[in-house]
Amino acid sequence: MRRRQLYAGISALLASGVIFVFPFVFILITAAKTRQDAAALTFSLPHEWQLWQNFIEVVQTRNYMLLLAYFNSTLITVVAVTLLVLFGAMVGYLLQRRPSHWNTVIYGAVLAGLMIPPAVVPTIWVLQSLGLFKTISGMILIQVAYGLSFTVLLFRSFIATIPRDLDEAAIIDGAKPLQIFFRVVLPLLKPVTVTVIVTQSIAIFNDFTNPLYYLPGRDNVTVQLTLYNFQGQFQTQFNLLFMNILLVTIPPLIVFVFFNRQIVAGMTAGAVKG
Amino acid sequence: MTSVVLEDVRKSFGSLDVIKGVDLTIDAGEFCVFVGPSGCGKSTLLRIISGLEQSTSGRLLIGDRDVTHAEPSQRGIAMVFQSYALYPHLTVAENIGFGLSLARRPKAEIAEKVKQTADILQLSHLLDRKPKALSGGQRQRVAIGRAIIRNPQVFLFDEPLSNLDASLRSQMRLELTELHAKLGATMIYVTHDQVEAMTMADKIVVLNGGKIEQVGSPMTLYNKPATPFVAGFIGSPKMNLFDGELAAKEGCRTYGIRPEHILLSETEGKWRGSVRHIERLGADTIVFLEVPQLPAIIVRTDGDRPISPGQTLFATPLQGKEQRFG
Repeated sequence: MRRRQLYAGISALLASGVIFVFPFVFILITAAKTRQDAAALTFSLPHEWQLWQNFIEVVQTRNYMLLLAYFNSTLITVVAVTLLVLFGAMVGYLLQRRPSHWNTVIYGAVLAGLMIPPAVVPTIWVLQSLGLFKTISGMILIQVAYGLSFTVLLFRSFIATIPRDLDEAAIIDGAKPLQIFFRVVLPLLKPVTVTVIVTQSIAIFNDFTNPLYYLPGRDNVTVQLTLYNFQGQFQTQFNLLFMNILLVTIPPLIVFVFFNRQIVAGMTAGAVKG
Repeated sequence: MTSVVLEDVRKSFGSLDVIKGVDLTIDAGEFCVFVGPSGCGKSTLLRIISGLEQSTSGRLLIGDRDVTHAEPSQRGIAMVFQSYALYPHLTVAENIGFGLSLARRPKAEIAEKVKQTADILQLSHLLDRKPKALSGGQRQRVAIGRAIIRNPQVFLFDEPLSNLDASLRSQMRLELTELHAKLGATMIYVTHDQVEAMTMADKIVVLNGGKIEQVGSPMTLYNKPATPFVAGFIGSPKMNLFDGELAAKEGCRTYGIRPEHILLSETEGKWRGSVRHIERLGADTIVFLEVPQLPAIIVRTDGDRPISPGQTLFATPLQGKEQRFG
């Protein structure tokens, strides 16, 4: 039995190595190649290591567009995730703690947000009529809208594990509803808040399609869109493209590696009553 | 010191009437215990007094003030919960001072009052700990501290000792009684444990099915129970209660006699029966006597009395200790 477990473990490790590590190694070595070398797209070591030169070139391309993109993506991610945590926790708290007829409606809306696929063109019409199309604030609202349903469900199930006595003790102590939420409930939501911050910030930072639809143009470019700098209809600079991929992949990867444990804790915390 | 008056208080959840009209006066400085079986409405009544639940009708006065519709924090009450309800992310000091910090009192004043409260409850060395690093008894003391610091007119306790083990419970009973003597505040205490009710209360309110069965001092309820329910609820083991032919012979609808008020004899007595089961408690022995045509009679007798199962014994109720209802 033990031997079988060992073999199963080793083969699982090998499989995940092939699936997850090989592509990353491929990106890394291609990003270090010269332009001609990279064009062959082979899984081989570079004849000439050009990692630093490629890095400089990618950063400087189109008047330091990558740095602007980093700034924009970070801004969108930070603001959207802050709003998601705030609204997700508030709606989750209300759904869990205050039963009313409206809850069914709100719950229906939350589920609809998960099930109904987003329609791009009507969303653009709405954004245009509100004057939010092609703006960072419009993009932030889109990200909040897309992520809110999942966030509300996560918070709601977690809040169910916080004893109602705590709310009531705070009421007796003289706390107003907002004080109960911010001083008693929100601090206790830390595990699930970390989960939401990490999963949503990676999703928003890595988002390619939504900025492509709702944030066209060079002014408000986000990191994933900078990939188009090196990919054209007739020619693609694979070495620079892969260097760019490497640069936009690293920040979310670091976040994930560091918060990995908390994410799992937060995901399962609401599942079983402790 | 403040009195609490309930006037025809009723509470319904939908079509279910939980409190069916309660009139009660709790005098200033009194230790009043609400006691009754599960689902009798005692906790609901306490929550109505605290303001966490609104009564459907009736009036509630704390002192001279009508607080029927007042916010919980405006009623001058403090409450200790069964689960302690300590804020897990705050230290003991922050837990105790939470109410004052909500009221935006100066930090120095909060620290001073927290220190005084902690001294009363012997918590001074634990002020920097989080609740998860405390034992059950210490947590209970922090919960009481959180109540004391607000200097309330009325303390409300919702089964505060039911999560503690037996020895700690008896220690906390003593501490709470001493605290009541020290503070002199009006205290209302909910429990389903009649030992807590008997040992701590100045006044016991026995509730059953959303109504008051009887109000009185512990010994009044023990010696002169108004109804068979009270007779059966107060006292352990519970009073032997008989309906039917035996009661009719005694000239009442229900006849009752406490286990400690029955004499056992090997030779003669009122009821002849055989011993079905014996519980040796050390100081006492509880005997379950099987008597023909009657339910089993429970008798409390001396701890070292030699009795064995199957033995034939005679039981005789003590004159003057019998209870006749209806």
